[in-house]
Amino acid sequence: MSWLFKSKQVNLAVLVFFFLVGFVPYFFLMPQVDDAVNKLSLIAATTGQFTVAIAIYSQWRRSLRFIKEKRKGWAYHIYLLALMSGMTFIGFAWGKSHAAYIWLTSAIVTPLSSVAYGILAFYMFSALARAFRARSLKAAFLIVSGCIVLLYQAPLTGAYFPGIESYAVFLTDNFGMSLSRMFSIAIIIGGIILNIRMLTGRELAFLGFAREES
Amino acid sequence: MGQKEFSLLKLMATYDKRWIYLLLFIIVLGPMVQPIGMPIAVSALTRNYYEKIMGLKAGDIVLDCWSTEWSGYMELKPGFLASHKMFIKEGVKLAIALGHPEGIPLVHTVFDEELKSYMEKYDYEYMKDYIILGFVFPNVAATIAAASDFHAAVKVDWMGTSIEGTFLDNVHTGADWTMIADFTTGAGNPGLVDHIVLRFGTPMISHDIGVMLPGMLANLDAGLYVAGLASTRGGAELEYLISEPGPGLIMMDSFTIGHYMLIIFIIIGNIGYFGWTSRTREREKTAIK
Repeated sequence: MSWLFKSKQVNLAVLVFFFLVGFVPYFFLMPQVDDAVNKLSLIAATTGQFTVAIAIYSQWRRSLRFIKEKRKGWAYHIYLLALMSGMTFIGFAWGKSHAAYIWLTSAIVTPLSSVAYGILAFYMFSALARAFRARSLKAAFLIVSGCIVLLYQAPLTGAYFPGIESYAVFLTDNFGMSLSRMFSIAIIIGGIILNIRMLTGRELAFLGFAREES
Repeated sequence: MGQKEFSLLKLMATYDKRWIYLLLFIIVLGPMVQPIGMPIAVSALTRNYYEKIMGLKAGDIVLDCWSTEWSGYMELKPGFLASHKMFIKEGVKLAIALGHPEGIPLVHTVFDEELKSYMEKYDYEYMKDYIILGFVFPNVAATIAAASDFHAAVKVDWMGTSIEGTFLDNVHTGADWTMIADFTTGAGNPGLVDHIVLRFGTPMISHDIGVMLPGMLANLDAGLYVAGLASTRGGAELEYLISEPGPGLIMMDSFTIGHYMLIIFIIIGNIGYFGWTSRTREREKTAIK
């Protein structure tokens, strides 16, 4: 019986079948399969949540290695594991509305999260101030464009020089947006190619078949 | 001899970056402690966002997605609170779906503290006017499930209370939402666009952090969003439009001065570069050795 699960062809056939079950009803009304598709989506959503368990397990392994080998910052890993365990226990035992859980989030998680984000402003500011040098004509264009957008983004500028909006919007709507589109299109094309490779059996490592077909 | 000569150009090229940190700290903190009240301009982007929310009627059901962690909320807070004040005032019904686990403390802060008095003022009640669904959108598959058959995917609110018999009885698929409002740091949910907007044509508005603006503008330009609100500045503009001054307008003085300071530092750095760094390199290249 194990041959059935080990067979590349069987796995591929199952993959293609479920792909079609999910893919085709996106474009065509197929009430006959709606329930099955919804069930599949729910199964996928629920299964996805179990990755959290893998993340916790991986963090434990990593932190224990740090502590055991007394690597730099190993004491922080003790703090991390204690908090992670405490929060998991309180969350499971008493729920997310318990005072202890709320205290942990409001006294530890949220301030740390805000600080991690807030200090980025200092690094970004400093990096921009030191890296924006007109070393070439292209760099000079970049600096001029950057300064126009920065001036526009300062709320006071628009109040006294409303004309700056057209220049800044021209830059963001053309150069900024085209780069963003290029990025999105690249991701989508990459995704489509990867999916085609998976469905045609050229990329099967995710199914546990280490050797891929050429 | 031996005594170093002071050179302003050298100082401009080689100053210690910690001066930047110190100055930035002062100019951010100063106007927040003692606001100056500089005037601001309202952009067309914010005006469009304001009009789209004003276009909602009492009883309309909005899927209110909080795809933000706590840190990003600090940037989105002015626009987030101003948008929700508009929803509450207009009597719009909200189904709050979290797309990030850090949304849970956010729920406590927003409803127990920041919007509490506003909700009391407009008699905005839990289960009647808004329902917190909890962390129901952890991934795209969950969004697909909720878009296809909402009640098969979501049966209870975040505390485990059944949502049967509430205004959500009228929601069956993604087509039944009057609008989707997404508050996102970019770690948001692509499923909202792919499986609700594109599939059912449901209008969507999005409030994004600054670095995600190019992506948001591209979605807006492509018609995937009907309106977008940009960062803290957009939030401040919205506060101004709804005449509800809040954290955004307080921050705008620091925002303005911070941006100008950055431009000044870029200019100083370039003067230092051409006056000192590049000349030093030239001197080194042409020096007789």
